[in-house]
Amino acid sequence: MSERPSPSAGSEPVIALDGVAKSFAGTQVIGELSFRVRRGEIVTLLGRTGAGKTTVLNLVMGTTPPDAGSVRVAGHDPFRQFKALRGHMAVSFQTDRLLPWRTAVENAELGLLILGKPKRQAREIAASWLGRVGLSGAEDRYVHELSGGMRQRVSLARALAVDPELVLLDESFSQLDHVTSSALRRDFCGLARQFGKTCLMVTHRIDDAIEMADRVIVLGARARIRLEAAVPAASEDGEARDRLRHDIETALGPEAAQDSHQQEHG
Amino acid sequence: MTDNAMEGLAPRAAGRPAAMNDIGAMVVVVIAILVTMHVVSSYVPDYIMPSPVAVAKAGWKIVTQDMLHVAATVGRLLLALLFSLIAGVLIGLVMGISAGLRPFLRALIVIDTGIPALSWILLAVFWFKDPEIRIFFILTMILLPFYALNTYDGIRALPKDLVDMIESFRPSRWQVVRYLIAPHIVSYILLTTKTVVGYATRMVIFAELVAAAIGVGSRMGLAQSSFHMDEVLAWTFLLVLLNMVLQLIVNGIEKVALKWRPEASVR
Repeated sequence: MSERPSPSAGSEPVIALDGVAKSFAGTQVIGELSFRVRRGEIVTLLGRTGAGKTTVLNLVMGTTPPDAGSVRVAGHDPFRQFKALRGHMAVSFQTDRLLPWRTAVENAELGLLILGKPKRQAREIAASWLGRVGLSGAEDRYVHELSGGMRQRVSLARALAVDPELVLLDESFSQLDHVTSSALRRDFCGLARQFGKTCLMVTHRIDDAIEMADRVIVLGARARIRLEAAVPAASEDGEARDRLRHDIETALGPEAAQDSHQQEHG
Repeated sequence: MTDNAMEGLAPRAAGRPAAMNDIGAMVVVVIAILVTMHVVSSYVPDYIMPSPVAVAKAGWKIVTQDMLHVAATVGRLLLALLFSLIAGVLIGLVMGISAGLRPFLRALIVIDTGIPALSWILLAVFWFKDPEIRIFFILTMILLPFYALNTYDGIRALPKDLVDMIESFRPSRWQVVRYLIAPHIVSYILLTTKTVVGYATRMVIFAELVAAAIGVGSRMGLAQSSFHMDEVLAWTFLLVLLNMVLQLIVNGIEKVALKWRPEASVR
């Protein structure tokens, strides 16, 4: 794994949630959630199914407004000032969500074209990002000609190609087998750190959280924070990581920890 | 980069044997029809069933002398198809995008689909003097709802995952149409064209029979009134051929426009 540069602690946070609450059809999904993500930091939200992780991500994306509290992304309200964050954030989803009628490079350049980059420049940037995620030579292949891992790589290239300040990852590696997932998250992590991206990642895999993040936030029912801890670097202290894993498993509860373990190694 | 990043390339599908089977089956069916005609024509008068040779002679006469009528019919058909496609797709797009206009447009289209083709033909005869306008109007009123409804259905069938993905880049509405909706509805437009092209051919002949003096429909009416069954059958075979050519053209366009789509086959 790459060296971890220290996130800029003094600067204004890229993501700031304060007292956020959200309900759907009378059911409270998020009670009162507050946390911050600093520039250049990679933060993982861990939680059991139904803990409200994806809702938190949707609030940050600005696709849904909070019922109470405030959500700020790069100083903007992502829902009310939806267009203001154009080009500032990109999302990598659980499934690749590639457009089947576009080739790998055409998919990777999609965000750039939407942001108004000239066609030729967009193509060059997209091709270079495909190279960075290990897909040189596959630029002209259609989606059905790519494996699951390759598709997810194109999806990551599409997200990173727009040079976003913030990358949101919604269980981006969970659909892949252990080996592919491990390789992909290692590659993504290296690129995110190399380019100083701020990342908020939702996952239910403890391995993903510990290997990739600077900080882990474990959410319980109604997105209540049950644990918030910095992840020690692998090179510094293996025992500290083991302790963190234990703490996360305790915070998640035995069933969720077992599920996570099965998904990671099963 | 990882070593296994390029693994798992899926093979391209091949469809040549299936096409050869289709052509073979078509040849067998055509031969069977010609043999049946030949046998029946030996027992009944020419005005009931002429021999294939008589029909071929009438066909040759059409090809050498009456191509103006064929061109008029094909021109009317293509013009009306093209206009219906453009107008229908635009109406379908507005239905898909504008929640405010959707109920009104849907009501209009539903009413239109409920009006019989014969009513449009009779109305056109009363309303318009120019036969070209009559035929254009009839075909448009009949074909347009197919395009509008299928385009609207195509937009409704857009996977929400893809909509959320493109929305995450915060595009303009025009960009959503350009990068997501338009490519997605191409298969719906082509399927509609394949479905209506045969129907449209029948309708243009019917409309020409009633409302025009030039065109295949009017020539068929003339042949029928003078008991020239060989000409009626020759025109009929020509229309079948025309329909097949149009289908081939649409299939060719489909192959190019949907080259990204893998062809699945079921054993």
